[in-house]
Amino acid sequence: MSNDLEIRELQASIGDKPILKGVNLTVRAGSVHAVMGPNGSGKSTLANIVAGHPSYVVTGGEILYQGQNILELDADERSKLGLFLAFQYPVSVPGVSVANFLRTALNAHRAQEGQDPKKTSIPVAEFRKQLREGMKSLEMDEGFARRYLNEGFSGGEKKRLEILQMTLLKPTMAIMDETDSGLDIDALRIVAEGVNRLAGPNMGALVITHYQRLLTYIKPQFVSVMMEGRIVRDGGPELALELEEKGYDWLREELAGAA
Amino acid sequence: MNSLTLKDLTADSVVATSHQLGEPAWLGERRRDAWELFAKSGPPEWRRSDLSGLVPDDLATFTSPGITLEWDQALAAQGVVFKPLQEALASHEALIQRYMDTGVAPLEHKFSAMRAALWRDGVLLYVPKGVAVESPLRVRYSLPDGVSATFPRTLVIVEANASVTLVEEFSSNDQPVSALAAPISELFAGPGSQLRFVSVQHWGAGVYHLGAQKLVLENDASAEWTSIALGGKLQHLDAETTLKGNGSSVNWLGATFANGTQQLLTAPWLRHVGHNAESFMQFKTVVNDTGYSVFDGMIKIEHESAATSTRLEEHALHLSPNARNDSIPGLKINTNSVLKGGHASTSGDVDDEQLFYMQARGISRADAKRMIVMGFFSPALDSIPLAGLREELELIIEGKI
Repeated sequence: MSNDLEIRELQASIGDKPILKGVNLTVRAGSVHAVMGPNGSGKSTLANIVAGHPSYVVTGGEILYQGQNILELDADERSKLGLFLAFQYPVSVPGVSVANFLRTALNAHRAQEGQDPKKTSIPVAEFRKQLREGMKSLEMDEGFARRYLNEGFSGGEKKRLEILQMTLLKPTMAIMDETDSGLDIDALRIVAEGVNRLAGPNMGALVITHYQRLLTYIKPQFVSVMMEGRIVRDGGPELALELEEKGYDWLREELAGAA
Repeated sequence: MNSLTLKDLTADSVVATSHQLGEPAWLGERRRDAWELFAKSGPPEWRRSDLSGLVPDDLATFTSPGITLEWDQALAAQGVVFKPLQEALASHEALIQRYMDTGVAPLEHKFSAMRAALWRDGVLLYVPKGVAVESPLRVRYSLPDGVSATFPRTLVIVEANASVTLVEEFSSNDQPVSALAAPISELFAGPGSQLRFVSVQHWGAGVYHLGAQKLVLENDASAEWTSIALGGKLQHLDAETTLKGNGSSVNWLGATFANGTQQLLTAPWLRHVGHNAESFMQFKTVVNDTGYSVFDGMIKIEHESAATSTRLEEHALHLSPNARNDSIPGLKINTNSVLKGGHASTSGDVDDEQLFYMQARGISRADAKRMIVMGFFSPALDSIPLAGLREELELIIEGKI
């Protein structure tokens, strides 16, 4: 079974409006792969569909991960397969503490069919240790764990919490959706360091971003460009620099010329 | 004691029973007045509570007591009294006579009269001046086998600068046929006192809970009140906090969950009389299946009050399109002197974005929903001082999702 994430001819719409018009993209296991593109190109839609957001209607294509077409799985099953989406806009859940949420998520990952959840659940001391270490590495306050999930969090706190969740859940493939948006330079550094600690042989990453800025902190091996619901160009890190320098218009014109 | 059905009772038999129990004459007379009103009046016009399934005549009562008290008896050495009301009449008659019926009016309508005429199981909690009680006291009312009508009565008197926590609980097995519970709770918080009151209704199926509760706060008294309604077939609960004293305050939290065919109505009122009093009420309601709940909350700011600060909120969460919640928050102001006053009401389904966010972390949809509901109820649940009771209620709530 392959830990490559393979997206083939993916088509999707919201209501009647087509957003993805045949996306082909392979994120190699253990690699960092950036997808860049202008606003409205369908990048976040792609991230949400890979994670299993129920609001999009997939009208064609498939997404393969670990030998399965994951489009047939619910979001929680995809997570347990090792996929992780760091949300662009993390959702608040009043009354549910960060610690409770994380412990429940970890236990869901550890649960085994037909086994008593008490046997598979993480021991409290072990959980506290992981949580404490994770928070320390992201320069988070200890009181953070007792706060309600994303409730009243600043932009930076929300993004750090996403990375904290990633740190504890140890996914094999992470999708970072505009993780740099709304971050000041310090928060960006902390978040990027968190990603870099995990990215490597055990975790591939699909990094979705509008700007090159994030890619100076999280170095991709591969860069693809998305426009109007399709991947229009694949390349290496130099492609990101070219886009930074020249914007997206030259590519748009080039594509129009080729058509 | 003999088993009786309500239709066997007469004014004379009610008074005779009172005498047999050794109750003082004034109480027998109060019961007679109440019975006479009950017997001659029709049911109140409750538009949102359907009592057609309740046939009071055939209900059996008085067979056996359904009350349990749990407390640290060492508190008695400090003068704290916590004992069945019938017993307390022998030792604290004057005190009971002074307070009883001054909170909840006994002759307001048919059911208030019924409660006042027939109450049997009950408790007196008395905390003397300046005594601070740390550990919570607990009174549990139940429906013993063979009893299908119960009339519990809680009387709490907290003297000046004393503090105490009382948990009042109503619970039973599911009832084979309809049963009736008609409780009265009267709570009096003296000057500078602190009272925490947690009232939990989780009757089994089939129980009609027709209750009245009243809390009166004197100068600088403060109260935390938690009202939880989960059980029974129908609830019609009139509850009121009167902020009588200057500088008094109340923080009132509620959690109601109606599922199946339950109809749960709560009418919590905040009545401001004193000056510079502060009140906050936040009720959370969840409805599922074809459950129906009503929040009939009201802030009443009386003309003699001044510099009131008050806020009332109700938030409802719908788990099923066939469930219904009526929210009727009201604000009546009879003075020009209000510092802050407001109310808010929200209503919605479980948020798909919340569910997706939680599922994206591996949590199943069912568990995510459960966590969202528990989180929604957390202000009220977090205020329960007994860990065991909280766990029990969480299990009940989980079963209703």
